[in-house]
Amino acid sequence: MKRQFVAVCAVAALVLTSVSMSFALGEGNARKGKFLYRKNCRSCHGASASDLSPMSKTQAEWKATFEKTDAIACHDKWPADMTPEDVNDIFTYLHDFAKDSPTPAKCS
Amino acid sequence: MSPLAEVKTTRRGLFKAAAMAAVGAAGSGLLGGLAPARADAKGPAAPPFESKFSVCDMCFNRCGMIARVQNGVVVKLDPNPKFTKSRGMLCARGNAGVAQVYDPDRLRYPLLRDGGRGEGKWKRISWDEALDIAAEKMRQVREKYTPSGQLFTAGADMQSEFVSRFAEVFGSFNVTSHESLCLLSLNRAFLDTFGEAPYADVINSKYVVMAGANRFEALVTPDSIDLMDAMQRGCKLVVLDPRHTKTAALANEWHAIRPGTDLAFMLAVAHVIIAEKLYDPAFITEKTFGFDELAAHVAKYPPAFAEAQCGIPAADVARIARELAAAAPASMVYPGRRSSDYVNSSQIRRGYAIVNALLGNWDKPGGLLAARQVGLTPVPADPPWYDDNQEDRLDAEMSPMLFEHDGSFVHTRDAVLSGEPYPVKGWFIFKTNPMQTAPNRKKTIKMMEAMDFVTVVDITMSDTAWYADLVLPAPSALERTDPCAGLQGSSACACVVKRDPVVGAMYESRPLFEIVKGLAARLDLAEHFAFTIPEYRAKQLAKLEGAEAILDRDGVYYNPGQVYGVYEGRIFKTKSHKIELYNQRYAELGLDPLPVYTPPSTVAEGSFRLVIGRNALVTQTSTQNNALLGRFVPDNSLWIHPDPAAKLGIRDGERVVVESKAGKGELAAQVTRKIRPDTVYMLSGFGTLSGGLSRIKGKGASIAEILEDAADALCGNAAMHETLVTVKRKVA
Repeated sequence: MKRQFVAVCAVAALVLTSVSMSFALGEGNARKGKFLYRKNCRSCHGASASDLSPMSKTQAEWKATFEKTDAIACHDKWPADMTPEDVNDIFTYLHDFAKDSPTPAKCS
Repeated sequence: MSPLAEVKTTRRGLFKAAAMAAVGAAGSGLLGGLAPARADAKGPAAPPFESKFSVCDMCFNRCGMIARVQNGVVVKLDPNPKFTKSRGMLCARGNAGVAQVYDPDRLRYPLLRDGGRGEGKWKRISWDEALDIAAEKMRQVREKYTPSGQLFTAGADMQSEFVSRFAEVFGSFNVTSHESLCLLSLNRAFLDTFGEAPYADVINSKYVVMAGANRFEALVTPDSIDLMDAMQRGCKLVVLDPRHTKTAALANEWHAIRPGTDLAFMLAVAHVIIAEKLYDPAFITEKTFGFDELAAHVAKYPPAFAEAQCGIPAADVARIARELAAAAPASMVYPGRRSSDYVNSSQIRRGYAIVNALLGNWDKPGGLLAARQVGLTPVPADPPWYDDNQEDRLDAEMSPMLFEHDGSFVHTRDAVLSGEPYPVKGWFIFKTNPMQTAPNRKKTIKMMEAMDFVTVVDITMSDTAWYADLVLPAPSALERTDPCAGLQGSSACACVVKRDPVVGAMYESRPLFEIVKGLAARLDLAEHFAFTIPEYRAKQLAKLEGAEAILDRDGVYYNPGQVYGVYEGRIFKTKSHKIELYNQRYAELGLDPLPVYTPPSTVAEGSFRLVIGRNALVTQTSTQNNALLGRFVPDNSLWIHPDPAAKLGIRDGERVVVESKAGKGELAAQVTRKIRPDTVYMLSGFGTLSGGLSRIKGKGASIAEILEDAADALCGNAAMHETLVTVKRKVA
């Protein structure tokens, strides 16, 4: 599948470049990001912790937040197997459906 | 046949029921709840009846109502006086909801196609067999074409969210709603100007310009009722419409605008307001982005330009602009609802939005209001991730500003037919009827033929069901337990409603929720539907303490949130965080950041522009075949002006053939001065193909058959006023 090919290329690119480089934000897979956000983030941010959704911030605020992931309060609780690509997918989802995006996430 | 199917819903019966309801209301303290009715001790013994809250399903407004039930049969529907969104009103369609429940043409049991597609040969099967077949076909589509090979389409129903949920856990990105055949251009325009689609505070307005909307016939609550109230208190209504609608008839002014030229009018109004400095400079500076660019842009569009395009005298255009500004901020260009008109409808409605911005009416009494907080908690699913899937929606690349949640039916259909960018071979449809509501019916039939398997869930055998492989009977709204829904009622309210069964589900019908639950169980997705609707509602109401009890007591729950000044201290949800007169994202995408006027196509001599609409007795096809409403509107007709009618030798009431490049239809001519000579009009909801709708079969012509398919350039909303037709006398 095309998606798998893209993923393989992305992984290969990661291996070829320095692991320590900062991951360029954006252009990730928003659909995968939605899935990963629900899997990894919503357990806390859906109920007990601050109730985050894409609509909680503007695109600029999401960008600023993800440019310094180390400074995110819950960063040390993120799953160990979350890759930079996963983080970028989550960012892409939150950013692309932010409250000032062309298609804000729907809420009731 | 169930004995309930033979219940007579005659007008006399309704009047008798109304009389009983009046006795009940007087005797049982209606406003204090729904106490059982008792017969007046002095009068003749009236049969006892129960009163139960419900929510109307005859159109999208969802008005609150009270069902009167006698011996297990719904005998009358009354408005819920506590339901402020409809101002305690239930319209004719709502009253006729009884006839929908007891329509003898209702689907009774699952039917499997047993002949050619659309041939009308069916085999009755059991529910287990039906769900086994539907699930197996979905599994085959998923294995062969990926999960996104299955398309899901749902109407505006209180259970439609379960279709989206099912699509998501199944793994399909392809979900379309009715919205892309209706109002997406409007939403696109206001979202891209104000950051959200507004609600018009009609009741407090002093001046309303209504263009491309017919609020006294195509009812929207509370706007239709509020407009009448506002006018009685001095609000001026100016209607721009090629037809002399009932709204035009009751307006202070009617201008028979040339169809498709509304943007020229709006740009000229903006021209006058800016040139004569009739705006609030503080509001413009503080709240808007791109005023200078707008001022330079509209300098090209003086009132004389509008006169040449719209056929409305320049002096009137300038006067209306001045009157609008004088009444500001309690004045508005009414945003409208259905905006599926032209290929540039989003930009046309941007013109409406920009004039409103210049009036400074945002978030103020008599202006445009933001959505109010309802307070329902979403109940999201936790769908699995499918690596073996497509990249995006089928129609993702076909519109630059597509709505992810709604898609574009017109583009999706083209993509299905071309097989590009990937094949879609399964279709699940719930309570919507694209065979009758989407332009170019022949294409929709081809789309059906391109599918391996189509499942339709509905109350009656719609045209769409008629062309399906499997038809599953759903109960009517009065027979169901539904989730809560949040409703926006402008300054009247933001409220929550729910539905509980008024009577039991008839025949073998099963609610959509039970159907997708059954499919999920067969596709190893049961965990995503491991709840009941009451449990789901409890989660929805988690943050609204006591709401469930209030819903049981009053039939509606109100969130007493802020109405005006909601945006004080808040940003606008646009890129600049201000009202974008100049849209930056459009500029980045190479689209016109300010709406550029493009004249509509020329209507050549001997042809007409076809415009369509609904009225107070017809909601597209969801009211068709209704025994009560059919008495008032048994057929549709073609409105045509006497001058062209005379040239064509057409007399009032004669049969005519209306033909476009897409198709043709035959119906009666209504020769009337209530329409421009270059335009003809048809009501939606007629010209059916289905053999399962006995009352309406063979009556009138279908808009879907005649309309050519085109789509809004920005968001893919259908463009249904682009079609030019010829009209001829029907030769015997």
